[in-house]
Amino acid sequence: MEFKKLPPVKDQLMKCVRCGKCRSVCPVFAEVGIETTAPRGHVFMVQMLRDGKVEPTNEVYERLGQCLLCETCSVNCPSGIDVHELNAAARSYIYENNPSAGKELLFDTLWTRPGMLRSSARVMSTVQKLGLQTLARKTGLTKILPGDLKEAEQMMDNIPSKSARSSLSEINPALGKKKYTVGYFLGCGTDLFNPSVATATVDVLTRNGCEVIIPKDMKCCGLPHIANGKMETAQKLAAHNIKVFKAYDLDYIVTDCASCSSALSRKNMEFLFAGLKIEDEALALSEKVMDLTVFLINVLDIRLPEDKTAPKIRVTYHDPCHLANAQLIKNQPREVLRRIPGVELVEMKAANTCCGGSGTYSTTHYEMSMKILDKKMDNAMATGAEIVATCCPSCMMQLNYGCKRNNWDIEVLHPVELLSRYYRNN
Amino acid sequence: METSKLKQELVKLLGKDKVLTEDLDLMYYSYDSSFLTKLEPSQPNAVVFPKSTEDVQKVVEFAYANQINIVPRGAGTGETGGCIAVQGGIVLDLSTWNEIIEIDVKNMQVIVSPGVIHAELNNELAKHNLFFPPDPGSSMMCTVGGMVANNASGLRAVKYWATEPYILGLEVVMPNGDVIITGGMKARCIKNVSGINLTKLMVGSEGILGVVTRIRLRCFPKPKARGIAMAVFDNLDDAPEAVMDVYQAGILPSGIEILDSSAIKAVNDFKPEIKLPDAEAILLFEVDGNPPSVEYEGQVIREVTGQRARSVEWATEPKRMAELWEGRSVTAAASARVRPDGSRIFAGEDISVPISRVADTLRALRDLADQHGIQIVNYGHIGDGNVHTAPVINPEIPEEVEKVIKFVDEVHLLAIEMNGSTTGEHGVGAVRRPYAELEHGKAVEYMRKIKAAFDPAGIMNPGKVF
Repeated sequence: MEFKKLPPVKDQLMKCVRCGKCRSVCPVFAEVGIETTAPRGHVFMVQMLRDGKVEPTNEVYERLGQCLLCETCSVNCPSGIDVHELNAAARSYIYENNPSAGKELLFDTLWTRPGMLRSSARVMSTVQKLGLQTLARKTGLTKILPGDLKEAEQMMDNIPSKSARSSLSEINPALGKKKYTVGYFLGCGTDLFNPSVATATVDVLTRNGCEVIIPKDMKCCGLPHIANGKMETAQKLAAHNIKVFKAYDLDYIVTDCASCSSALSRKNMEFLFAGLKIEDEALALSEKVMDLTVFLINVLDIRLPEDKTAPKIRVTYHDPCHLANAQLIKNQPREVLRRIPGVELVEMKAANTCCGGSGTYSTTHYEMSMKILDKKMDNAMATGAEIVATCCPSCMMQLNYGCKRNNWDIEVLHPVELLSRYYRNN
Repeated sequence: METSKLKQELVKLLGKDKVLTEDLDLMYYSYDSSFLTKLEPSQPNAVVFPKSTEDVQKVVEFAYANQINIVPRGAGTGETGGCIAVQGGIVLDLSTWNEIIEIDVKNMQVIVSPGVIHAELNNELAKHNLFFPPDPGSSMMCTVGGMVANNASGLRAVKYWATEPYILGLEVVMPNGDVIITGGMKARCIKNVSGINLTKLMVGSEGILGVVTRIRLRCFPKPKARGIAMAVFDNLDDAPEAVMDVYQAGILPSGIEILDSSAIKAVNDFKPEIKLPDAEAILLFEVDGNPPSVEYEGQVIREVTGQRARSVEWATEPKRMAELWEGRSVTAAASARVRPDGSRIFAGEDISVPISRVADTLRALRDLADQHGIQIVNYGHIGDGNVHTAPVINPEIPEEVEKVIKFVDEVHLLAIEMNGSTTGEHGVGAVRRPYAELEHGKAVEYMRKIKAAFDPAGIMNPGKVF
């Protein structure tokens, strides 16, 4: 759809009264403090773009690109503006009019082909195992990487040698009496960087009477593409996934990745396919999609026997933006943790403030990402927790890196990993 | 001066991290929250980020020598275009200079730089059982410097009044670069009548007389208890009468807010779960102090308002207070959403009238809105007669813009006719200056003389106030 006709651009731009409430909640603005990073500033710039007062240049993209798309401003906007959608739509518009080759390669080629993505991860893992990454750092070879990647590559330590997909079957039967047939949307981040989360998800679901189907041909949810101005690619990916999941008779589609569930949500589908033929099918898919923790609490209502002998463990929870802001899901992940015997849940200050990971943001805006991360780590460490739990692979990667930066030797886990651990130990 | 030369000079003065001159960046400084800048954004020639008195002094001296306008700016949350370079110039974004320099607990004072956020200041003061009472609705984002410039107030002005009484002294960079201290060099005293009161002159002068660089504020002990009463009226006229009854009964609440039927409808449409009663008006009274006095005052309010109101509810339990207050706290947001294809605009939004004429004013506002075919939502601080009118239009439809401009003009004239003012707490800025002569008559001449004495070059925030 034409940029000007996209629903947020058409209906919401004029609603911004520039009240500045967003200045008080934006994590990037908190660091920089100048208007060019304020969410209302982004809304203003999108309006300038729509009205032809500025051209779709790299300079405009650069300014809009400072936004994390964490949606904190959107949920706090008194006028109800989806600031993140406006920003994403504008990025896409700029990209269409001013493409960049690097992004083409990454988002159109590599990230749309799961096989190729997995091979790349395997190669990187091998490189790390052989000590070549360390060697490259020592010899200064990493300095030739473009932009912020020369710093951001440090976050990519310990890439698992095997993807989740390679060790999980397409069909995983329910243990005991089957209650539901569940499609598992295995996101790229979980598959490649946190395969143990996927194993735990399948373990917990099957133990609780779910037959878990992991469709072979599913692809990325498309959220990284939306964030990076590749709306059309995101549409193609979503259309592909709709077709893939439609082939199965599923009661629910569950994912352990906050970004994936947000990408597959009704709100995002409406944004992505506004006015297009496929919108109805997309919305039908959304109806079945559920975050794993919501499924565990609201549908399965998992109950574990009281166990006073369970070893005590202090856990703090970080809210991923794509759950807390995009889907207003805050309670269920905590409830899963509370229901695990021995877990003592300790709230950190500003638990629902972004960690600075935000998908690919840490690789494109390393310095800013680290400033935001450092605040998050201060708050997390102040709890004295032994485990930081969260529901998003990007947050997990970022928080793991935060632990490393602070020499804080604890585990970063998805709540489902703790739950699976409890089942296996008992 | 050419932009490239201006950039060079400013970078030489402050360093490149404190200067913006790229055209694209300057656009972000072309707006505040006013409808005026929504229609006509106006960008400066440069933006600087001073972090010390010396930084400000350097820029002002340079501007004075080169006849370049200076426009001080806080968080840009104002509704009058007050921080906008409507005639070009250098914007001084003071919001990044946010230091709480000293909290003097014994003397109940605090010294801050202009960029400190109001809510953050009160969070710090709370650690010492103190608070800075004026409470603008934009507390989370507005700066204390901006509050000083506009003599801002808010919901609790009924009891605690506006910013001005709390300012014990200021450091000001004058338009020629001189630095002065008002209130006295060593003044930690609370009372001070020595000399012409330049502090009072500076507070509310909207940046046309100098740049405030340091603020000494008086604080109050933080009240230990709070209670809220909600009174529901079938007849709009009874609401201001009930307010006066409460005053007559010897009670001074910290805040008294009104929602008229338009606001009640807007809140119920926006958040049906709040379930505000269908009525002509709702009054919310807030009292604060020590627990026994709060209970006593609550009791009196209940009895007195009960004589006119359909129902009165009194709450001191935090959860219930939050529920009762929610109706008021979401009104601004609800106004913005009252029409799916429209937007609330900030224009004619801040008139102030005698308490005795609030009901007449609300009715007159509705009539005016009907005449012009404009949807409005009315709410405000009835305890001090400050009425906030929120016109809701589609600002992208020229006919609606034209209509609302006429409506807003009549709203301002209505305020003057009611023996009121065009602005109770938001200020004049660029948007209300056409009414200066009408409101102040010959006094405007003297305002101009004061301005000329302070700023003979006329570089300080031109195009504002009168």
